[in-house]
Amino acid sequence: MEAPPDNDVLWARSLHFTHPDGSPGLSGVTLAVREGEILAVSGPRGSGKTTLLRCLSGLEPVAEGEIWFNSTPLHTLGPANRERLRRDRFCWIGPEPALVPELNAWENAALPLMLRGTSRRRAKTTALEWLERLDVGEAARKLPHRLIQSERQRVSIARALAPAPTVLFADEPTAPLHRADRGHVLRTLTSAARSHGITVLLATNDPETAALADRTVNLLDGRPVRTVHLPEVPDAEGRAACSISV
Amino acid sequence: MLDLRLTRAARPAVQLRRLLVAAASAGTGFLLLSCLGYALNHPEAAGSGALRLAWCGVPAAATVYLALAVARTDPGTRPRPGLSAIGLGPARLMVISALVTALSTLLGSLVALSLFLYLRGDLTKMPFDGAAASFLAAGKSLPLAATLTLLAVVPGVATGAVALALRPRDPQPVARPQRRYLPFVRQAGGPAVEGRTGEAEAGGAEGAPAGEDTPRARAGATGARPAPAPGTDETDGGAPAGLPWAVALVATGLTAQAYAGRTPPTPAFTFTAVPSGAGLFLLGWLLTAVGLILATPGLTHLCGRLLQCARPGALRLLAGRGLMAEATRIGRPLGILCAVTAAGYAMTTLYDAPARPFGPLSALGALVVAGCAFATLLTAAVETRQCRTETTAALLRLGAPVTVLRGAAALRAFALLAFFAPLTLAIAALAAFPLTR
Repeated sequence: MEAPPDNDVLWARSLHFTHPDGSPGLSGVTLAVREGEILAVSGPRGSGKTTLLRCLSGLEPVAEGEIWFNSTPLHTLGPANRERLRRDRFCWIGPEPALVPELNAWENAALPLMLRGTSRRRAKTTALEWLERLDVGEAARKLPHRLIQSERQRVSIARALAPAPTVLFADEPTAPLHRADRGHVLRTLTSAARSHGITVLLATNDPETAALADRTVNLLDGRPVRTVHLPEVPDAEGRAACSISV
Repeated sequence: MLDLRLTRAARPAVQLRRLLVAAASAGTGFLLLSCLGYALNHPEAAGSGALRLAWCGVPAAATVYLALAVARTDPGTRPRPGLSAIGLGPARLMVISALVTALSTLLGSLVALSLFLYLRGDLTKMPFDGAAASFLAAGKSLPLAATLTLLAVVPGVATGAVALALRPRDPQPVARPQRRYLPFVRQAGGPAVEGRTGEAEAGGAEGAPAGEDTPRARAGATGARPAPAPGTDETDGGAPAGLPWAVALVATGLTAQAYAGRTPPTPAFTFTAVPSGAGLFLLGWLLTAVGLILATPGLTHLCGRLLQCARPGALRLLAGRGLMAEATRIGRPLGILCAVTAAGYAMTTLYDAPARPFGPLSALGALVVAGCAFATLLTAAVETRQCRTETTAALLRLGAPVTVLRGAAALRAFALLAFFAPLTLAIAALAAFPLTR
């Protein structure tokens, strides 16, 4: 086994993944993520973006291929060690803000810190600072069901950023939002990541979102491609043949 | 056919829950048939027969409640958004739930009938050397219509209750006005109406009654939400209402018992022969039980609040807030279990040494009621777990250790046990005190 270059924080080689039901997931993805960069993983729905992020973050065990995180071979770790790594080094933002419904906003944001053993006072201070920075400081004491969707998503971003992770996995973080909220949320996310040197993997199928990243990797049917230009669809195949006037 | 296939293709745990419903229904059916047999054997003792039949209401109610809880947790009848288009919409799912319930309860009734006929000696000979002849009515022919009517009671009521509880409703959460018992709170400009999403989502049988769907309540759902006072943490959507009333009921019940126990030295009464002076006493017990059941959601909420007070860490925070959020769902079955336990404790104290021990039928009835109460509580716990699947998945994705989640669940269970066991025993001791003096 060959260790990856030093400046890559996350490195995957010829990653293959098949879903438990046998449907193909990834076929031969090789990818290197440098420290502190924002890498967009782009591609249409079903191209394997989420699967790639889940594999890289250790949520799914990899059958074939290698994943290295800072010279730790992720593909050889057991579930417990991957869970610890996820807790200590990684953070995840999903398309839905999966907040714990019975905790209010700042408690939600402070939860990962408290799970790592930080004292309550310090966790609260950090969480409140991040909520302030993401423009949801007003809502810090409200329960999630009293917030609107974009506020909830910003709380979940604060929750991901508060423990200062090494790598942040963002799986279509702006999918359920309108365009105005989308831009706001993305800008806060990217600027916070840049100012704190957090590496971000951003899965998106929106070219505008991908434009905010340093680099873009295009996926198509589970493998990286240079361009995603598909052949033009001829308009309404067989329309003439089926037309009743023929 | 579809519901038969859905019934068959379920996991063992689900089948076990349905079998529990069938067993409870069998026990209740057997008790009802025994009442019929007693009445056939003793046509002169109409009052005693009616009393026995009235006592059967308790196991029947417990069975229906269990059937309702099991139907709510049935994964085969969960809403399936993808299958709504092919006709498996909410209404059809409600029909399927009701049919599955009817199937399991009818199975139980059939078992009860077969057992009863078998014990009557129609097939072989009298059991227990003829000791049970008093309620089996061996020599008499069983009236068909009465038998069928009695056996149809539990399936009919359970099916109706399930259909009513799972009837299709709009997914939009129904706003329930916060009940305030002090009129001046409303006038003082306090938030009289408060949308409680958690409760409305949890809503099963306890959905908002029609009378509460006032324009004011609807305005509360859509209009301005009452903001919490600045500087205070909003920790919960609202405590379950009714704790003051429940405490008042318990106090009234205990007082009634004390009063009834004070005037005449009541002889130890049995299920089948209640002396005339014991009416007030029974009323007191009933009030205490109802009060205890009504008080439990509020007390569960209080228990969760106590668990998460004073600078909690992640474990206590998750455990306490979870308990506060699920107070109604867990609290009702827990209250019923507490009431049943208290009643059982009081009975054993009363029947201690001099009086005769439990007969076989009382033992069966007690077993059915206690088993149903316990199974309902476990089923409610399963329902809670099903509802929190997404939250648990999110926590695991955050990297929360599984030990923290299990520890939170264990802490919750321990807190409930530590809070409610002494309370139940105290109420039982108070309830039994006037009689044992």
